[in-house]
Amino acid sequence: MNVATILFYLLSAVILGGGLLAVTSRKIFRSAVFLLFSLIGIAGLYFLLEYEFIAAVQIVVYVGGIVVLIIFSIFLTHGSGGDMEKPVLIRAVFSGLAAILGCALTYLFIKEQVFIKSNAAAIEPSANNIGSQMLSTTEHGYILPFEVVSMLLLAALIGCIVIAMKVKTEK
Amino acid sequence: MGAGVLILLIICGVAFAGGGIILSWAIAKRSTNLVKGEPYECGIPTSGTSWIQFNVGYYLFALIFLVFDVELVFMYPWAVVVKSVGMVGLVEIVIFMFILFMGLLYAYRKGALKWM
Repeated sequence: MNVATILFYLLSAVILGGGLLAVTSRKIFRSAVFLLFSLIGIAGLYFLLEYEFIAAVQIVVYVGGIVVLIIFSIFLTHGSGGDMEKPVLIRAVFSGLAAILGCALTYLFIKEQVFIKSNAAAIEPSANNIGSQMLSTTEHGYILPFEVVSMLLLAALIGCIVIAMKVKTEK
Repeated sequence: MGAGVLILLIICGVAFAGGGIILSWAIAKRSTNLVKGEPYECGIPTSGTSWIQFNVGYYLFALIFLVFDVELVFMYPWAVVVKSVGMVGLVEIVIFMFILFMGLLYAYRKGALKWM
């Protein structure tokens, strides 16, 4: 067992432990913090795979953005500090079953899928490579998706302002 | 080699953070009293719990922050290669940022950036 394997299991423990605590904690704010640990663990896995750019994205967007958004939306509710009531047993059993069945289905799909080994050399996932691919205006460049992304972000920005401002004026 | 360094970094990080806590716990004098438990030593006494309902304005700011956060993700690989790509890269990012600047302008005109 080499160092990378130990690290993998360590990070997996952080991810799964964080996820488990996030769904079992009865205080909603703590759930958000446990989710944070889980997401940082996933970033760690990307670092382990030497996907530095994806890891940075994971930290900037998910850890720095989405979790902040979740925490703010928790603070928008009335009972952010209180305990949530214990789940009904039947509901807990069925959600557990749904999770297990979902895992089983995903496993089945991965097991059945025949992965064809490519002969082409792997492209190095460095920020340098990603950047030059993204800005490339040649036949296989990604300049059009890159510019379309800004349209998508603009739509998201206008959408969130329209929806949130409606709430604000109603108050 | 990389993973070994990472493990060493983790051990050093835990020792650095935990060492200070353990050392201060071991050698510091401890006392508890009512004044010490106050959030502020002087000023107006606090009332009620800190778990209050936040203003919806915070959420709007968080949403706008997230959009520009994602924009930043795309600017990062651009910044790495802009020197080698040259003028074309500059024009591309100007178009990209112009479209998003329209969004910021929209937010400004709609008064979303104003605190109520």
